[in-house]
Amino acid sequence: MEKSKGFIIVASKKRNFYSYAINLAESLRDYYEPEEECKICLVTEEQFIDDRGRDVADDIIICDDHYRAKLWGMAKSPYDITMYIDADMECEHEDIIKVWDEMKDHDVVFSALTDDRDYIYAERDFSTPEGMAKFTLCGGVCLYDMSKPIVREFMDDWWDLTYRQMNDTWWPEGYVDSLKSWDQFSLWWLTEKEPKYKDLKVGIFDDDLRWNYYNALNWAQTKPDNGPVILRHFSAGLNKDTPIV
Amino acid sequence: MSRKQWMDNAFWETEDKKEVNCILELEDDVGRVTRQQMMLNRANKDGSDNELFNELIDALGEEAIDKETIDRVTRKKAEKEEEKMRDEEHLKARKLEKLFNYKMEAFEVEEIKLSKNRKLKAKLRRAKSRIEVDLYSIMILQDQLEAVADGKE
Repeated sequence: MEKSKGFIIVASKKRNFYSYAINLAESLRDYYEPEEECKICLVTEEQFIDDRGRDVADDIIICDDHYRAKLWGMAKSPYDITMYIDADMECEHEDIIKVWDEMKDHDVVFSALTDDRDYIYAERDFSTPEGMAKFTLCGGVCLYDMSKPIVREFMDDWWDLTYRQMNDTWWPEGYVDSLKSWDQFSLWWLTEKEPKYKDLKVGIFDDDLRWNYYNALNWAQTKPDNGPVILRHFSAGLNKDTPIV
Repeated sequence: MSRKQWMDNAFWETEDKKEVNCILELEDDVGRVTRQQMMLNRANKDGSDNELFNELIDALGEEAIDKETIDRVTRKKAEKEEEKMRDEEHLKARKLEKLFNYKMEAFEVEEIKLSKNRKLKAKLRRAKSRIEVDLYSIMILQDQLEAVADGKE
């Protein structure tokens, strides 16, 4: 049987994220051909749901208001091949349909945090008991194959570890506390330190800037190699806390 | 052992090649290295030869300084253009963020929120300017009012 494919978007904690999520979902439908094959799962709080959400989403999952409900939602995806996209992004190119080809033989696929994009990252390098390390994976978008048990377990663990690092029930010795707020840390820990995931096939999108172009990047300095942006990330310039209207 | 070396990035300050900008690297007996940036005139104030200037010319040759002067102008021009481009792109990105926020405001207008006209909403989303956002907002608003009047909503 063919694996099901769909997008997952999470909007929790702030109402603005719900508006961004609706916009993202509609933009996916704007560009995805044929549109009826564009399956979207919206993970959000009950208090935010309105007709827009019910109209644009094929599946709705209710979450709580945890700061990282994103990871909880990712682990609940109803689709085999799932493309998670941060709510504050927008689709702007019809190549979105090619996203499934990026799965290849990987288990999970991310965009990369690289040295030449370093100028927009808040915290990337950190010290460990074994020496300096840096985050190399960006969780703004993530393509993963939920039909594989190892991936399902990985997604559960990513959420669980992040939850525990944020509520101070888990933290390894020798790491600064400022890293606790980053789900990139739990991701780094699982992919670099956790023996059971040593064989997890982690990939990077081809020409990954097309799949997660931070609008804060300077186009003169940093742009995709082969083609226009497919998914643009607006995170830096948004007033997430002030109600839109 | 002490050492004295003229850096090979010296360039002419003036077109008549009477003044040169250069760096002299010095290493003392215990290996400490210092660099001195200098502006040397071809002639001293009394018109006599400037020995330090001649030493530099002997070490690097006038042709090398000519070449570095041209290369430097090209390099500086390219750097300036690059900086200008970065500034322009920075402004474009800020403008795009503002436009995105403006569109989000438009999508929160009650009638636009309720509208099921996907085509017009897609047009609004693709709008490249505020005026375009305004125009599509009005079109969606009219369309929605008509839909309500027709009993479709």
